[in-house]
Amino acid sequence: MEQYLPFVFSNLFNGYNLVLTLAGTIIGIIFGAIPGLSGSLAMMLFMPLTYHMALGPGVMFLISLWVGGCSGAFIGSVLLGIPGSPSSVATVFDGYPMAKKGQASHALAIGMVASFIGTFFSAILGALLAQSIAAIAFKLGPWEYFSLCMVAITMVIAISKGDMCKGLTSACIGLLFASVGFSPIDAQERFVFGNMYLMSGLSLTVVLISIFGISRIALEYGRGFDKLPDVDDSSLKGFGLHWLEIFEQGVNIIRSFLIGLVIGFLPGMGAGLSNLVAYSTCKNHSKRAGEFGTGVPDGIWASEVSNNAAIGGAMIPMVSLGIPGDTSTALLIGALSIQGLEMGPMVFRNSGNLVYMMFAAVAFDAILVLLIQMASKRWFPYILKVPYHYMYPALLVISLVSAYVESGSLYKCGMMIVFAIIGLLMLFAGLPSAPMMLAFILGPTLESNMLKGFQSSDNGIATFFTRPVSCCFLVVAIGCIFSPVLRMLFQRRREVADEACD
Amino acid sequence: MFQVKRDQMVGIVTVILGIVVFAMIRDYPVPFTIEYPGPKAMPGLAAFGFVVCGLGIFLQSTFSKKEQKLFLVKEGWVRVGIVFLVLSAYVFLMKYLGFLIMTPIVCYVLSTLFSKGWKSATKGRILFSVLFTLFVYFLYTKAFSLPMPDPVWM
Repeated sequence: MEQYLPFVFSNLFNGYNLVLTLAGTIIGIIFGAIPGLSGSLAMMLFMPLTYHMALGPGVMFLISLWVGGCSGAFIGSVLLGIPGSPSSVATVFDGYPMAKKGQASHALAIGMVASFIGTFFSAILGALLAQSIAAIAFKLGPWEYFSLCMVAITMVIAISKGDMCKGLTSACIGLLFASVGFSPIDAQERFVFGNMYLMSGLSLTVVLISIFGISRIALEYGRGFDKLPDVDDSSLKGFGLHWLEIFEQGVNIIRSFLIGLVIGFLPGMGAGLSNLVAYSTCKNHSKRAGEFGTGVPDGIWASEVSNNAAIGGAMIPMVSLGIPGDTSTALLIGALSIQGLEMGPMVFRNSGNLVYMMFAAVAFDAILVLLIQMASKRWFPYILKVPYHYMYPALLVISLVSAYVESGSLYKCGMMIVFAIIGLLMLFAGLPSAPMMLAFILGPTLESNMLKGFQSSDNGIATFFTRPVSCCFLVVAIGCIFSPVLRMLFQRRREVADEACD
Repeated sequence: MFQVKRDQMVGIVTVILGIVVFAMIRDYPVPFTIEYPGPKAMPGLAAFGFVVCGLGIFLQSTFSKKEQKLFLVKEGWVRVGIVFLVLSAYVFLMKYLGFLIMTPIVCYVLSTLFSKGWKSATKGRILFSVLFTLFVYFLYTKAFSLPMPDPVWM
């Protein structure tokens, strides 16, 4: 690792990269803070810009958007009672009551320091662990990779809201989108309709921005925008946190950090789940459990440390296995592959310097976010007061410009509108978007490994079950698909048992 | 009178989509075999999923007594349609008039549409549209050296 330090530091402290990182962090915080927007959306919108940058600055810019977005999400939770993104849902439970009691400054300071602790230390731990996991990954063949991709997709389906059929349908849409263009190995033209723009497959930027961005803005306008929030900014003076409190919360911080790291590591899960798990664990272990929800600082510590720890956790499988831990790492994988950098165990051999630069960029960003948030705490309420009629037209224009920038053609802008209509129809049908996105991103890896697996063995599909690791992954994947049915059966059995006891 | 529920409709459309995908991949020259599934495998898997899940969604909705929430009122659909119309016109006309002319117009139209029911001055919206266009144009063309669509006469 030491041999990469000169490269890492020369990139981190390069003037151009510093400006990009600073801009990315500020944009990320703003996107994270505003309910309805998120760091992932910022990454999607600005991703095409990075195609024209060198790999180092491009990666640093995307990481700064991600870290800023994840850290900024607590601002909306504390000041509005509306989470900036799903990663800060649990922060609302105690953050907002604290703000209402006139302790907004204290709650925000906890959010800032907890975010820093979670992000910084998870990046350090990620850098230390990733190579060991990559060494294990070398022993995996195409069968295991196929099964691992299946686990990632089915896990997202299992935790997606709504029913299993809709989650699976959404994943199938992702697989269908991933099939467009030439197939791997056989180079069969699929769903191209003689159109040269479709031959290289569907663009990640076009599909993601239109489905996650444009269709949702159009829907919000259709439903009528909510009233702009009133923010009480009278209690935002001073830093608001005594350093001793960090040591008092030591056990809570370490426990929440580990929860975030592990959940972030699991494919398909991330900050959106870790904050809720850490919050409920903290509540279960607290002597003040009854007071939770009325403004107990422990809850904010748990939620914010864990959601930010998921950043480093999600980076480990992304780097060492090429499997995204959450939406943002899925986007990073997509952006890096466009730049010619394939994530996976070989990345340490081919571009180890870049991998360690990514972890260093996350740690550096954690410090930058803390400094920016400390300096700008008084302005937080203004971020939340940007009128929709200025924000949304700007986002729509940037979305379409992103598609143009990627290809230099207005054709992709038109495609973006078509996919936004598909996104709207998915919302109408109640299909969750996350399984579609993961299946679309993992589709090519899934297919090429499946075909390679068949080509490299004489036993056909049986090989996927006779190799122990692959078999274990497939069992987990099947378990995930049937988890709602199993859950229902267990629940019914428990109800019957309870009735019998009564 | 029998009324089709939204999820029943979703189920039927999903099944039809699956059948259409099956029909489209039928003629690929590399056959689907147990030894090697070939290029039909992934779209075939998606099509199979559509048919099975579509049936599942349809049956679930048929036997469910839950009332489905209204997705959008009629005026809402009209508003959504207008947004898509404006964006389509933006993309189409940008080919002829370029980014610098079309963007402030579209920003103004969208901000006027979105500001309905809110306090917003025309001057403010014009200023926002022009300044935002110039900011994006200079950011992309000067800072990142990326071309933006020019009008046809340039």
